[in-house]
Amino acid sequence: MAKTLDQVRYKCALGGIQTVQSIEGALPILHAGPGCSDKLSTGYGTSGHFAPRIFPCSNLSEKEVVFGGEERLKELIENSLRIIDADLYVVLTGCSSEIVGDDAGEVTSRFRASGKPVIQASGAGFKGSNYMGYEWVLESIINQYLDEIEPAPEKGLVNVFASLPQHDPYWHGNYDALETLLAKIGLKANIIFGYGRGVKNVNRIPHAEFNLVVSPWLGMETAKLLEERFETPYLHYPNLPIGAYETSAFLREVGNFAELDTDKINAVIEENERRYYYFIERFADLFLENRIMSKRFTVASETQYTLGITKFLVNDLGLFPQKQFAMENVPGKYRSDVKSQFKELRFGIEADISFETDGYLVHEAIRRSDYLGYPLIIGSAWEKKIAKETSAHFLPISWPLNERLIINSSYVGYEGGLKLLEDIYSVVLTRFN
Amino acid sequence: MGKKIIRQVAIYGKGGIGKSTTTQNLTAGLIEMGKKVMVVGCDPKADSTRLLLGGLAQKTVLDSMRDSEGDVQLDRIMRTGYKGAKCVESGGPEPGVGCAGRGIITSIGLLERLGAYTDDLDYVFYDVLGDVVCGGFAMPIREGKAKEIYIVASGEMMALYAANNIAKGIWRYAQKGGVRLGGIICNSRNVDRENELLRAFAKELGSWLIYFVPRDNIVQHAEIRRKTVLEYKPESNQAREYRSLAQAIEGNEHFVIPKPMTQERLEEILVEYGLMDLVEDYKI
Repeated sequence: MAKTLDQVRYKCALGGIQTVQSIEGALPILHAGPGCSDKLSTGYGTSGHFAPRIFPCSNLSEKEVVFGGEERLKELIENSLRIIDADLYVVLTGCSSEIVGDDAGEVTSRFRASGKPVIQASGAGFKGSNYMGYEWVLESIINQYLDEIEPAPEKGLVNVFASLPQHDPYWHGNYDALETLLAKIGLKANIIFGYGRGVKNVNRIPHAEFNLVVSPWLGMETAKLLEERFETPYLHYPNLPIGAYETSAFLREVGNFAELDTDKINAVIEENERRYYYFIERFADLFLENRIMSKRFTVASETQYTLGITKFLVNDLGLFPQKQFAMENVPGKYRSDVKSQFKELRFGIEADISFETDGYLVHEAIRRSDYLGYPLIIGSAWEKKIAKETSAHFLPISWPLNERLIINSSYVGYEGGLKLLEDIYSVVLTRFN
Repeated sequence: MGKKIIRQVAIYGKGGIGKSTTTQNLTAGLIEMGKKVMVVGCDPKADSTRLLLGGLAQKTVLDSMRDSEGDVQLDRIMRTGYKGAKCVESGGPEPGVGCAGRGIITSIGLLERLGAYTDDLDYVFYDVLGDVVCGGFAMPIREGKAKEIYIVASGEMMALYAANNIAKGIWRYAQKGGVRLGGIICNSRNVDRENELLRAFAKELGSWLIYFVPRDNIVQHAEIRRKTVLEYKPESNQAREYRSLAQAIEGNEHFVIPKPMTQERLEEILVEYGLMDLVEDYKI
């Protein structure tokens, strides 16, 4: 019997269009069937100068499938170059063109040979998810756009690869927060996604002192490729730092890797922790005396949040992880490393983590679980129903997110930890009414 | 009175084995028996109806689709050849681009929509290219299409190897539909003990050798003149052989789900019939 995947939390690899769109000045060109772009653009925050409904698309029909679509693609790129002023044109090839075997790489290489910044990345859904699509876009940028740049390392410049742009509703805020944190210890983040960055920062990628991957696994392929191509070392920090405990650990580890002055790092940490705990102390009566919320919680999200929030709620807040779910179909080769991260919690606590892509099964597991009170469930819009059924305190934070608007806020860092507490306890407090 | 059933027949076999030649001569034989026949060439090379039409002048189904922005007329793609034989070529992309398999699917779907399968037809033959490389080339034997399959083979190892592979495909489709193997047609290459070998091979598949077409250079002479043997030399021995093949097909009631054999068993049969040397020759 065919397996049904219910309430899935990721998209197909053509979701790489969101990665491209998040780089200012980069334009996605789709070599795919009609409708692919529109279907992948669910959610808010995708309009702008280049928006999904104006992305050039070859709208492959049966004719191109049978006879091949290379001519159509060539014509599409020519017209895109003529009427859309972009700094980088990224052709993303969808399922039909890749099954048929259109050589889009060859078509785009001809444009590059005549000096046009046109590259190609795979976006075939049968090959992987939008998380893979992200890595493939970056791989294409490195191999096809940055291939001839001679690296000239700049002290203190750090490429940062963290959240999946646009798919993670907090992506922009997360990158901003990481940039701010790194600046505190004297490092300059080179980020390619979001406001004021874009292709000019892409051009600086080869010149970074090191690459920083702040993610359980996403971005690792990119970091390894950059090491291979430009001999840039990388630091993998698998945990999105939320709250004081993890953020201080993050700053220490990055500082150590960058061989920064330890005293300076400690001074930054001390100042930020003092401020952080000032606020914690002011609201401690709420955190300590509120007995409405069970101490047990579940995060059903992409791993960066499942891990990051679990660490925060255990290490900073003293809650207990009941059952955690990593839902973005983590590639097999990373699973054991990710799993071990859930064992590295304070107070000798280990979290029970499941790699589960099926929302129905996640909800069944929540239903069977005893939270010894009203649970705290952090997930996506898909958890609304099970949260209601279990009378949970429910905070939706990841895609799909239908009933909250996230513009540029973030849970990253000291401030992010406080923001997460605001959001969780804003839900908890509604029970008093 | 029930609706007349068109016998839809697919001809498979190793590339170059003589499927098109056999199909067209067989078609000529059936037409002489008063049957109405349509031949659908399912090969991008579009050379399956050359002998019936006296040339390759035909516009293929997919050519028409490519050129006409969807407004395809049946009379543009169906030509009438030898004694009223209806001829259609699926066509396909240039070598190395696009998807020829999808082309077959598109083409047969289009023929159906255009009403090519008229009630006056007794037979539709699908002449499919040698290597069934993907699902598209199995289109003619999917549900609702050809129920009857003949495999053209010879006494050479690779022809039998291909025939056995094709039998595997037929077996797969037979599980969920009514498609059946009607028999093996031997297009002789004058290999030693070929007739016995083909009989043994067919028997092992659970089928039979429906006809043994002897080798005769007259076939090549006819082909060079763009004619079937029946048109070129109607009184020749080879013309009589093709007429007999047509009669065998017309009277055939022996339809089975084939039992494909293992490579080891296939080689055992070849050894048994003295083709051991050939087996060695074919090893790469």
